[in-house]
Amino acid sequence: MSQLGFRFLARRTPRKDAEPKVRGLVKYTNDLEYPGMLIGRVVRSPYAFADIKKIDVSEAVRMGAVVITPDDIPQKPFNPRLVSVDEVTFKDTYVLTYKPRYLGEPVAAVAASSEELAQRAAEAIRLEFERVYKPILDPFEAMSPSAPRIHEKIMKGDKWIDVENNIAARLDYEEGDVERGFSEADYVLERGFKTGKRYHMQLEPKAVLCVPEPGGKLTIYTTTQSIHNTRILISQLFNIPESRVNVVKVPIGGSFGSSIQTNYLVPIAVALCLKAGKPVKIAYTREEDMLDHSNFVFHFKIKIGARRDGSFTAAEFTNILDVGAHQVQPYPLLGTSLGWFVSMYKWRNLRYRGIAVYTNKVPGCALRGYGAPEVQWAVETMVDEIAEALGIDPIEIRLKNYVGRGDIFWGQGPTVRSVIKSDGVPELLLKGRELINWDKRGRPEEKKGRYRRGIGVARGFHTSGAGGPISGEVIDYTGCILKLNEDGSLDYLTALQDHGGGTLDAHVKIIAEELGVPPDLINLASASTENTPYDVCTHASRGTFVGGECARRAAQILKQKIFETAVRILGRVVNPEALRIGYDEKLGETVVYVEGSDLKITLREIARTAWQRNWGTLVAAVTYRATSAPPSFTVYYVEVEVDTWTGKIKPVRVVAGADVGTPVNPDMVEGQLHGGFAMAWGMAFSEDTKYDPSTGEIMGRMLITDYKIPTAQDVLPPEEFKVLIANTYEPSGPFGAKGLGEAAMNPAVGAILNAVYNAIGVRFYELPVTPDKVVKALRERGETPW
Amino acid sequence: MVRVSFRVNGEPVEFDVKPSELLINTLREKLGLTSVRYGCGIGECGNCTVLVNGEPVLACLTLTVDVDGCEVLTVEGLSKSELTRVQKAFIEEGAVQCGYCTPAFILMAEYLVRSKPEPSIDDVREYLKGVLCRCTGYVNIFKAVLKASGSGRGRERVDKG
Repeated sequence: MSQLGFRFLARRTPRKDAEPKVRGLVKYTNDLEYPGMLIGRVVRSPYAFADIKKIDVSEAVRMGAVVITPDDIPQKPFNPRLVSVDEVTFKDTYVLTYKPRYLGEPVAAVAASSEELAQRAAEAIRLEFERVYKPILDPFEAMSPSAPRIHEKIMKGDKWIDVENNIAARLDYEEGDVERGFSEADYVLERGFKTGKRYHMQLEPKAVLCVPEPGGKLTIYTTTQSIHNTRILISQLFNIPESRVNVVKVPIGGSFGSSIQTNYLVPIAVALCLKAGKPVKIAYTREEDMLDHSNFVFHFKIKIGARRDGSFTAAEFTNILDVGAHQVQPYPLLGTSLGWFVSMYKWRNLRYRGIAVYTNKVPGCALRGYGAPEVQWAVETMVDEIAEALGIDPIEIRLKNYVGRGDIFWGQGPTVRSVIKSDGVPELLLKGRELINWDKRGRPEEKKGRYRRGIGVARGFHTSGAGGPISGEVIDYTGCILKLNEDGSLDYLTALQDHGGGTLDAHVKIIAEELGVPPDLINLASASTENTPYDVCTHASRGTFVGGECARRAAQILKQKIFETAVRILGRVVNPEALRIGYDEKLGETVVYVEGSDLKITLREIARTAWQRNWGTLVAAVTYRATSAPPSFTVYYVEVEVDTWTGKIKPVRVVAGADVGTPVNPDMVEGQLHGGFAMAWGMAFSEDTKYDPSTGEIMGRMLITDYKIPTAQDVLPPEEFKVLIANTYEPSGPFGAKGLGEAAMNPAVGAILNAVYNAIGVRFYELPVTPDKVVKALRERGETPW
Repeated sequence: MVRVSFRVNGEPVEFDVKPSELLINTLREKLGLTSVRYGCGIGECGNCTVLVNGEPVLACLTLTVDVDGCEVLTVEGLSKSELTRVQKAFIEEGAVQCGYCTPAFILMAEYLVRSKPEPSIDDVREYLKGVLCRCTGYVNIFKAVLKASGSGRGRERVDKG
């Protein structure tokens, strides 16, 4: 995009927070301390499904601990995630409960002057159980009429509703005539898919520090993707006006969706803080963190009809979502799952049935992609199979059917629709095909020997946010403040969180581009709920697209004010629109000038003059709702090597293509793709939290010894990981940019497993594909190594 | 309580500690060295890595009494003003995302370039395999370490246009 003459964008630039990070100076929530603070610990249910008769806190109190039980908490149900509008938000969670519904559910909590005393006090609390039920861990068993009800009554919006057959939420959808569509098909394929229950394994376990301030105010520091939604939830739960709850944005050590919701430890710390009247900090252990959040389990049944020419005639998609013990807004996931499916290919006729089902497991929440990695794995597996059955090249069938430029796109669910304006899919598919040497990949039956290599392709996308022209069921807007300081530097304030991907650095570069002010002089100011406009959350790959455009608009407004001020100073210039702003290399300053004349003034001088002459502060405050959520398309070509003796699989080569519009920082684009691929590798081959069927406990006692994520030895050396950036420009994005965080991962699992098929001729429909499954499949086919 | 004295980032320190006190807690809580990060407490994630007498050690599995008389280095003590080659390379190669694991990777990389001045990519992967990162997929970290070492090569550009 250098032809557009960007000064800061589309160039590799060191991110502003990199130096403090390599010096180890960035403070995360668990690093924070406050004078006189107590340390809190959570008491958890040892049973997956039970009724507690009594919680005996006497010993803990005698030890000097502050203790809270369900009796200390307002008993109104809530949903910890506030991204959907209230009418479609199902509320079934209590901060502490006498009826634990998963093993590890918080039932009481303590705070004491030291971590050791708090831990001893927590262990001294005695739980007496009325009844312990057999845990229900399978969603199909949960739906049977004879199954006990995990929840009886929950709230939808402000109304109580009955829960039938453990069904938490449903979404059905139909378009066209599905029966006729299938009757017109020459080939129909039906498959079932199941995923693991993945754990986010963000490196920073969740933590919170809650500080009581004079005047009944609370200041909260916590690991969150949304400071404003955290504030709103605490305000609602404890009936404190939002003006008396300030949530401060703290750097976060990765998140991947695990803190879109307010993590359970936040209201617990607030309740302890209110009771103790002292600051309270809680930092989860890794094992507790695994009991706080993991992904949903997806059970798909998909049927696709195709004509001989490779066009699709109909699709039927059943999505049984195992949501665990509580709803962290799985209802919108029923919508996005459908959105991912619909926006992949033109099915022409479609029927969808989505059912979210309660089980006695850790509550499921979003994990990078919000269903897209799962749906795109399933779809890309089947499209590969259909191409093979019809004798069509897998790349051709994708190009023929994909939803692209000019089509209606609704990744984030049926109420979030917009028209696609930028589309790099053909470029990425065709360039990648050459780079991976697609035509030489061979057929699985030709491959012999212990080690077999295969090449696979898959494509997909994610939205850039959840905005749209019509207000739907999803809340999506942001806000920011940009002000010119008295020396010409800038302070930029946004509630939007940076999980580590460099989102806020992108904002800084966008402001720099608009104003010609170098990133060094743009301060990412400390932000909290009381000094920023509302932002819904950093999720849905919206940080750069939505937040970045908001920042650009603020810069544009500020620019106008700078020009008006310059006109006042320069005298001879009549119209502000005659002015330009940019960075003057020779002066090493940002200047305002008239093109083709020598009339110029530095921004520093403008700022200083406005200050010295009492003209006031130049400032822009913007609240911004995006009118579209354009897809960032990605294409993965992957080569793998399968050891047919051990079932172990390793990556050989990757070509990762991304259509992000203008790449704000190519280093960060690469970083997202590298990280997305690694996460997909874990999803494909190792990651699952398995539950003991009799106790409902996560096997391996939540130790990460038994939860393997990819290490440095499992990924590719730099020269084998090729990144392609499509030459596109998104008209609705800031300087043409789109999102990437989730698209970077979404189709990768599909490509990896299509490559496995190309190597050994076996398709896998259940994740993770552990070595034993590979060996078993080969044995069943009659292959034995010895 | 046991009296221990050792050096941290070049400065002598002395504490009375319980025999069971872990080095991660001494460094974080008594010295404010929060670059030593808790990630699992069982020696799996490597995020608490520090160098003791120049060798990598997991602070979450090390008793403070065991570093009596030793030299402990955390990232805070790596460079007083000018960044090291490794630190610079991490910035230049986009090897930093959320930053939580970064200190541990920097220390492992410093250890690597000192013990193997011209490492191969396999050496890099072998040395770094004990530290988990969930953001970067490790690739830019490999680039940074190779660049900072004697094996440093020119980078491949993928800029558009």
